[in-house]
Amino acid sequence: MHTTSLLSVGNTLDECIKCNICTSYCPVSEVTDKFHGPKYSGPQAERFRELGQVRSPDHSVDYCSGCRVCNEVCPTGVRIAEINARARAQIAADRGISLRNRLLGRNEMIGKLGSYVPALANLAMHNPISRILAEKVVGIARGAPLPRWHAETLNGWLARTGDRRLKSAQKVVYFHGCAIQYYEPFVAQAAIAVLEHNGYEVIVPPQNCCGLPMLSNGEFDAGERYHRGNVARLAGFARAGYAIVSSSPSCSLTLKEEAPELLDKHDEATLILKNATWDIFEWLRELADEGKLRTDFQPLTVDGRPMTLPYHAPCQYRAHRVGKPSLDVLRLIPGLDLRESHARCCGIAGTYGYKTEKFEIALEVGQDLFEYILAQGDVPYVACDTETCRWQIEVGTGVPNRHPIEFLAAAYGLYDLDKRRLKNEP
Amino acid sequence: MCAAYAAVKAGLDVRIVAKGQGATHWHAGTIDVLGYLPREDAPILTAFDAMNRLVQDGGEHPYAILGVDAVRAALDDFIVLSDEIRLPYRGSGEEGRNLRLPSPVGAARPLFLAPEAQLPGRLDSGQPMLVVGFEGFVGFYPKLMADNLCAQGHAARAAFLPLSLITTRRDFNNVWLAEIIEDDANLNRLAEALALLVRPGERIGLPAFLGFRHHEKVMDRLRQATGAPIFEIPILPPSVPGIRFHDRLARYLTHLGVRIEIGMEVIGFHAEGDQIRWVETATSARPLKHRARHFLLATGGILGGGIDSTAAGRVWETIFDLPLTNPQQRTHWFRPHFWDPAGQPVFQGGVRVDQSLQPVDASGNRIYANLWAAGGILAGTDPIQERSLEGIAVSTGMAAARKIMSKE
Repeated sequence: MHTTSLLSVGNTLDECIKCNICTSYCPVSEVTDKFHGPKYSGPQAERFRELGQVRSPDHSVDYCSGCRVCNEVCPTGVRIAEINARARAQIAADRGISLRNRLLGRNEMIGKLGSYVPALANLAMHNPISRILAEKVVGIARGAPLPRWHAETLNGWLARTGDRRLKSAQKVVYFHGCAIQYYEPFVAQAAIAVLEHNGYEVIVPPQNCCGLPMLSNGEFDAGERYHRGNVARLAGFARAGYAIVSSSPSCSLTLKEEAPELLDKHDEATLILKNATWDIFEWLRELADEGKLRTDFQPLTVDGRPMTLPYHAPCQYRAHRVGKPSLDVLRLIPGLDLRESHARCCGIAGTYGYKTEKFEIALEVGQDLFEYILAQGDVPYVACDTETCRWQIEVGTGVPNRHPIEFLAAAYGLYDLDKRRLKNEP
Repeated sequence: MCAAYAAVKAGLDVRIVAKGQGATHWHAGTIDVLGYLPREDAPILTAFDAMNRLVQDGGEHPYAILGVDAVRAALDDFIVLSDEIRLPYRGSGEEGRNLRLPSPVGAARPLFLAPEAQLPGRLDSGQPMLVVGFEGFVGFYPKLMADNLCAQGHAARAAFLPLSLITTRRDFNNVWLAEIIEDDANLNRLAEALALLVRPGERIGLPAFLGFRHHEKVMDRLRQATGAPIFEIPILPPSVPGIRFHDRLARYLTHLGVRIEIGMEVIGFHAEGDQIRWVETATSARPLKHRARHFLLATGGILGGGIDSTAAGRVWETIFDLPLTNPQQRTHWFRPHFWDPAGQPVFQGGVRVDQSLQPVDASGNRIYANLWAAGGILAGTDPIQERSLEGIAVSTGMAAARKIMSKE
């Protein structure tokens, strides 16, 4: 019995049987001629690419959003999205990386800078003039969903509330990611409350950006530096037997597979971190399967009636290949009317939909999802796990977004969904 | 998926785990039950008669194991299923008899059930055909089809319309075209152009991309504008009729409570004694366990991925490493002639099963007490040569689900 797939990214291209199923499902090439589709830009163009060659034969691969619908439907297991990601890195090496893509890759740095003066940063970032400037000068679409800095970072909250955190023999490590640290620390607060409610002490060690924004923009060297930093800081916890859970499926995906695979890192420390990393709902589902998840849920209601909640599984789950663990766990909440969207992608695909030339494509890709959500009637919230997806869905539908962990924390009676803060917090 | 349908209808909790999308996406969207038998050139007119011969031969062909009545019952269930998903399939209207529908090059395809959109193409009807293609669409050549049909004595003529009637895009795919055609402006332009082309008394054949989710609207509008019967001609993959069927069935199964996990490759399993406890699928990190009381192996044959091989000649079943009847020496895989009427041994092999569709070893002993097999993985048949792929899939899938239920 073997435990991992024997096929590496490069070798899988020989498995392509040219059936075009990937192209039939690709949400991007369906709406634009700029991307010729996964089969042409992936396994077919790959035949004309050589490591280190000066010119890539196919620049349309830059329009691949990396949603991985192609990987999912491929009957023979070709890793099309990874082939495309490597091709983008080759283009970046060939043509250089724009200021815009460098900025989009550095959300940790931007988040940190803004967090010193969040109110000023929000003012500077969220006024029409700077959005127009950002669009004209840098190439970041003015309608794209930029987040707002939170008044207090996650680290600030952790330092302030350290004496109230649960101490326990059972411990779990939490990887927050940049967006949670600077923009949405309340998601981490909900996650920590859920984990503590189940008897786990939550360790939040120093960590840096997972590096995914750089990897998606072809900036492999910088992405590798970030990944090395996380391996150095977290592999020790993995070795000591702790699970490392993240509420951001894109960060956990990067630690598990994106970084090791794209960067060809297979050393012991990388692998032990990979195998100790979990999406938080994947981990909670395992707990539930073992009968260890607390089920003292209160029904979630709106005006006394059970809540209807549209849920969209982000593309990252498709890459995790763990099914839809948030759905599995949220189903345990009594009376919650969960409505799963079967739409392929919200369109944003990390930093893709922020780019001026891709903004419209991203909104068009998301149409199926937006229409689905709006067809569910007057719902208070929409749930999705990944940050930029949630923001995009809110832009596309006007329905406020929440992370599934916020609903779980609320069902435990620990969290105020409306105010997005823990109850019983001074 | 047919097994999942039968099992969930009977009250079982069902999960489908698949590496990717399967044969529905390549095939014509018809249910081919038995079109040819090895060593016989002539197509089969009455599928059930030929099936009876297989039963009498007493071989290990899946139809011989099931018997004609079980196959008939499964196909009847399939018709009910097709009605439930609002994509009705029908047969020739005569007991056990095959339909003959035109292939995209004008050859006759013997098959058993077809979606309503393909039925007006029947070759036993003498109604003249107008075969319409699109200039610039490389997947279908109406003149080739019409010429070949005429050479066989059918009344057919070809016509071209510009592809720009429906799209100005340079890149296209059958599924996108099916969706583009659903747009009212595009649909009306096409309908008006067809109305100008058609002559009284003709039926109109078009490449099979006549709508996806709103297929019925497209068919109705074209029929209404032309006053002629309209039929779809299956073309090169991806197959819109097949994907349309898959899409509706998958939604229906999900609605019934079946969990469909696509993109999950099984990489291992765990058994205790003769009981399989779980299978494991690859994820981004550690394997994911799927526990069940019963497991149905429906991974397909060599093309489907259920059977793999090395260049040296080893052939194996990819999940449980079950014994196969395929020749294990490369020199025994093929006969000297590509089109040998006896077929190629490597494609005829597969997993041998007992009367309950449970995999057995060479001496007929069950390998696992809670494992069943259905579809293209089964031994004793070359479904592509026989044109029996869907018939075997539907009948053994439905039958396996019943046999599993009898163990509950």
